[in-house]
This record gives sequence, structure tokens and C-alpha cells, in this order.
Amino acid sequence: MHKDRDAALVNECLCGDRKAMSQLVSQYQRPVFNAAYRILGNMDDAADATQTVFLKVFEHIADYDQKHKFFSWVYRIAINESLNQVKKRRTQEPLDDSQASPWQGPAEMLDSKRICKRVQAALMLLNDDYRTVVVLKHISGCSYQQIGKILQLPEKTVKSRLYSARQLLKQTLQDEESGK
Amino acid sequence: MNEQNHIVQAPLDERIQQLLNSSIDGEINAADQEELERLLATSQSVRNLNKELRVVTRLLDELPEIDPPQYLQDAIERQVSLPVQSKAAENRLGYFGNWLNANWLRTGFALAAGVVLTIGVYEMGSGPIPAGDTSSMSGTIARSGVTAQQGVLLDRIVLDSELLTGKVELRNHNDLFTLDVQLKSDGPSEVVINFAGRGLEFDGVSSPQGRADAVSMVDGSIHLASNGKQHYKLNLRRAAGAGHVTPLELQFFASSQLIQQNEMSTSQR
Repeated sequence: MHKDRDAALVNECLCGDRKAMSQLVSQYQRPVFNAAYRILGNMDDAADATQTVFLKVFEHIADYDQKHKFFSWVYRIAINESLNQVKKRRTQEPLDDSQASPWQGPAEMLDSKRICKRVQAALMLLNDDYRTVVVLKHISGCSYQQIGKILQLPEKTVKSRLYSARQLLKQTLQDEESGK
Repeated sequence: MNEQNHIVQAPLDERIQQLLNSSIDGEINAADQEELERLLATSQSVRNLNKELRVVTRLLDELPEIDPPQYLQDAIERQVSLPVQSKAAENRLGYFGNWLNANWLRTGFALAAGVVLTIGVYEMGSGPIPAGDTSSMSGTIARSGVTAQQGVLLDRIVLDSELLTGKVELRNHNDLFTLDVQLKSDGPSEVVINFAGRGLEFDGVSSPQGRADAVSMVDGSIHLASNGKQHYKLNLRRAAGAGHVTPLELQFFASSQLIQQNEMSTSQR
């Protein structure tokens, strides 16, 4: 997330430099993929979304306003694309039961893999607005201000969504533990 | 709860929640921190909530980073065309490029390509396409290996019957439409893809299992036959001059029964 270096690479892309494009992809494909994965809950869909994100980024690179941080712009496209895929998927197929519920029998969190699975499942139960802020905060490591810029929301709204999302996650995980 | 999340517990004092969350996120100022410390010192319920929220936050922070698939970077780079570069490439073509761009010559090439394709398809007849022949047919059939996923996902069919399971995805990038067919059956199965009259031309088929011998073309339909697992990538290209590409028609057979029939959208929803 180095503003000057990103800006230089973007300018090189605008001059048709594929090496610069390759560097930007290399730098951002991992965080974009991870954010998409946590929103979509599926590796294949996350890979599809990541590809589409970068195609859109470079298709519109000439429109990128260098007053803003490049990563904010990329993340905004990534979040929108991931949410588009969520919507598409909802119209295409019913939610898989294994994805819909984190409860898989007597709840004892035995190992970290299982915990991660349950946290991801609980994340998938949040609505899109809540899930997005949680992903940007905890997966992408953005500050309230950065999340506000990416989602074009006031910081106050970001905070309130984040608090509510955490409260819901806490409730879901606690319910699960108590076997509800 | 999936769509509309509601907090069912009694609403917590908004101020306490704000202080706790700001503190957890390290975005609290000194005055608020003092206020929170006072509350923590005097209230067991605030202490409990603080502990619980910190556990949730830790769980989220500890979600592992996932490695993107190895093909991803390469697949993205292959698909990206930088707007300026295409202009630069045009300029580099210079005199020869302009000459190639002449309409009459392009028409000539299109006609020649049409003749080659017609002969190719005629030679293929209506029987199976022999594996040995496929690589020599002007590059139109059986390219080696299945490449990484390319293009925007347009449509997906999921099969979940007793006789046949799997999925088919249709992707598009520029004029190329790629069908990714991944199916599994206990007995013989066949997929028939009808693309005749839809503004598309056959552009190649590949299979990681090297099963190009199970591919045949009958009356404008591609037939992909298999027994067990099958994975094919079928490329169709927008025909020259074809504006709109209409949906593809697919039929799935297993043990000589029609299992499912679908249309696949050729435009983005």
C-alpha cells in the first residue's frame, strides 16, 4: 500500500508497460483474493471474482483518480465484484446447507482448523453490509477511515456496522457453543 | 438471519459499546480510554462484554491468509490488455500493419479461413474425431492441455442426478466463449452442445485426460462422450460479422437417458 510506488506503476501501465501491470497484480492479487474469499466463502468464486476485479481495474485504469489511494480503488472494485457474485449466486442456486449453518453437531471447538471453519460459517450468516466491514477490518486490515473511503460511507456508519456485526458473530458463536 | 441480521439481545448502552469497540480496534483517544477504564473497574457486565468481544475479534484476526491458486496471476496477466499498449502495438505494425488492415485483404483472409474451416468440418464428417487427427486440423481441434479459467463467468449449470453429477461453466473474454465441462457418471455419458445458428464458430476443444477421441461433431452440435469422469474445455468464437450471440443449448445424457436439458446464457446478467 505505497501510494507513490503504486502511482508510478499505474502511470507505467498507462504507457503500456506490462511489467508494471504484472507488479500491481502480484502486489494486490493476494489481498483481493482473501477479501473475496471471506465474502464469498468459496475458493473458486473468489478466484473468479479476483480475475474479474483485475480485468476491470486495467480496463478502467485511465479513469483512476490519482488523488485517491490505488488500493482503496482496487478494494472498492473487489468488494463490489464480490457482492455482485453473492447476488448472482443467490439467484442461481440455493445456499448449501453446510455453508448456511456453522452448527455441525455437538459444539466443541477441537482445533484451530475447525474454529476457522466455524468463524467463516458465522461470517457467512451476516448480511452483506456487515460482512463487508468485518472483512475490510479484520482480513484486509483497514482502518475505519480507509473502510469509509472504500465503501464511501461515513466513519460513524462503518463503526456502527462493525459493532453490530461483532455482536452478531459473538451471539452466533455463543449459541453454537451452547448447542442451540 | 441470513439476509436481515437483527440483534436479539437487549440493546446495550450505545456509549459503552462504542468505547469497547474503539478500544479493541486501537482507535480510542485518551479521554475515552479513561472513561472506559472507569467503567471496566466498576461493572462486571462491561468486563464480561469486553472479554467476549475481544475473543470474537481475536478469532477474526486469526483467520488464516489463504494462498490464491497458482494459476491466478498468470491467468489475470494473460487476459489484461492495457488500453495504450494496443495503440502502441498498432503503431509498431507500421506499413505492413496498415496493409494488413486493408478491408479487401481482411475479406480475403476471412474467405480463405472459411474455406479451411469448411473443409475441416467436412473432413470431420459426423463420426468421432480421431485423436491423432485433431492436432493437425489447422489448430481448430484439440489443443494440448486445459488452460486456466479465463474470462467472465456468464452462466453455470449444476447437475446432481443419480446418474450424472458435476457442473458446466460458460465464460467469455472478448470474442472467445469457453465451456468448462466437468462431469462424473457411473456409466457412459454424453453432453451435446448445440451452437449452430447462434453466431458462434468452433475454435477448439481440449481435455486433460487426453480424451479428444470422444469428441465428435454432428449437424452443428459438439458431442462430448465419456465413461466415468470427464473434463473438457470447449472454445467457441464469435463468428465474423455476428453481432448478437444467442444462448447455447445443452443436453446431458447418461446410460442413454436424457438427464437434463438447459440453455446457457451468452451474455452477462
